[in-house]
Amino acid sequence: MNCEWVRENIVLQVYNELEDDARHELEQHVARCADCAAELKSAKEFHAALSQAPMSEPSPNLLAASRLRFQEALETAEQGGLWRRLAFDPSIWLRQVKFSPALASAILMLGFVGGVGTAYRVLARPTPGPTASPAQPPAEASITGIRSITQEPGSNQINIKYDTVATEETHGSLNDQRIQQLLLFAARNNYNSGVRMDSVELLTQKPSDPQIREELIYALQNDSNPGVRLKSLDALGKFVKDDVKVRDAMLEALVNDSNPGVRTEALRMLEPVKADGSVRGVLMTLAAKDQNQYIRSQARTQLAQLPEID
Amino acid sequence: MPANAWAIPIAVGERVHPGATSQRVGRGSRNQDPITRGCMTAQERRIDDTMLIREAQRGDRAAFEELVRHYDQAVLRLALHLTGSEHDAQDVYQDAFLKAYKNIGSFRFECSFYTWIYRIVTNLCLDHLRKKQVRKEDAPVAKDASGGEYDLLEQVPDGRAGASPERDLMRRELGKRIHGALEKLTPRERMVFELKHYHGLKLRTVGEILHTTEETAKNTLFRATQKLRGALADVR
Repeated sequence: MNCEWVRENIVLQVYNELEDDARHELEQHVARCADCAAELKSAKEFHAALSQAPMSEPSPNLLAASRLRFQEALETAEQGGLWRRLAFDPSIWLRQVKFSPALASAILMLGFVGGVGTAYRVLARPTPGPTASPAQPPAEASITGIRSITQEPGSNQINIKYDTVATEETHGSLNDQRIQQLLLFAARNNYNSGVRMDSVELLTQKPSDPQIREELIYALQNDSNPGVRLKSLDALGKFVKDDVKVRDAMLEALVNDSNPGVRTEALRMLEPVKADGSVRGVLMTLAAKDQNQYIRSQARTQLAQLPEID
Repeated sequence: MPANAWAIPIAVGERVHPGATSQRVGRGSRNQDPITRGCMTAQERRIDDTMLIREAQRGDRAAFEELVRHYDQAVLRLALHLTGSEHDAQDVYQDAFLKAYKNIGSFRFECSFYTWIYRIVTNLCLDHLRKKQVRKEDAPVAKDASGGEYDLLEQVPDGRAGASPERDLMRRELGKRIHGALEKLTPRERMVFELKHYHGLKLRTVGEILHTTEETAKNTLFRATQKLRGALADVR
């Protein structure tokens, strides 16, 4: 600890940016050194003088004009990666169809032409029927639904029956890219919650894969079936310490999920990170005013186990 | 975070499904209570923003506009102070949020949206400052409705109790001198000083915004403060 170090850190002291130890040492030094004490006083006075001329706020008129101008510009702006979003989120197609009769007609005509073309090809083929293990992965856009998912007992082989124009079937291991693609599709898009449950259960075997983990977070946040949400929650449990996105998703489930079972499980899963500032904040809110008595009491219990912070 | 930013109240126990997106936006955002967002915890605000970002990433323009309203006052304030011109501040505001809209699809939640949008704004402002340093412009001016120019610093109102015309005049003079001293800093020194002194950001966040380390931000703040103290030696 010398005067040079103190001079360099006085500005951090003025802006309250020094660590506790360094602040203590600086205060100890200043108490002994008259020159450094004068320097600190001068820095504080300068800071106070600068604060005499505070930053001007933009006028309400300027803010309103900026918002209006931006809204106009937004009308003609397009988000990047539109094709990618369209390919990955079928709901965008539906929205487009809903609002655009012309586009709807075009898609219908395309479907008709495609259907006629497919019929010709099927008639020309000598052995039509279900195909097993096609060489190429199925195009996601051509899948209309997943019928069933089964795992062969005692092996890692998985059978997936899915519909395109006709029902098809494929099988392979969990490491197979085609199988993973179909499982991810089933977890997000299938109307049959049993199939979603099966796919999420298989995906939970590989939660360390970032894409699969992302899918589990999506299922936790968006699946309508509480069983599927619970399964995703359990699989994500071990990442709550290291992955902020997982933690946020769990906090979101804890605050917003309609199912008390899912909320209770989320509360239990978050216990290892209850000392985290964000988790503590949510626990305090729940302990104070949650409608569910059990959640309230559990949040209080967890808070009571935490050391006090000043 | 602007004190009067807008809010979507998160109802405890209520689940929000993506299918109900427009319903949620329609129900929550149009009846926003500015006080509600002020009362939300940082975590609740983060969850609130996360939902809006996801909806914006799915192409929901209304969600993005709502997100903009959470941050635009702070953005405009920074741009106005750094550019010293209402016209330029509006340009920075527009460019920053349009850029954010076009690239929201690539936002991966690796940092907070706050940091992300400030990164875009500071880059635009740094470009502006660098160009301005080359041009060596005069005092900050803006154009009024009739096209005449006026000094922005003259427009800062003094709403504090005990404000008198003499004190107001002295404060304006001080403001001009401070502005002049700030103009002499390098663009990066000025940016660090503005974000720390006027926006009260932690130096760690300043480092994240400017793609540098907290240590570098500390050193830059030290240099900026030394230069300002030198230039304003008689100001106490």
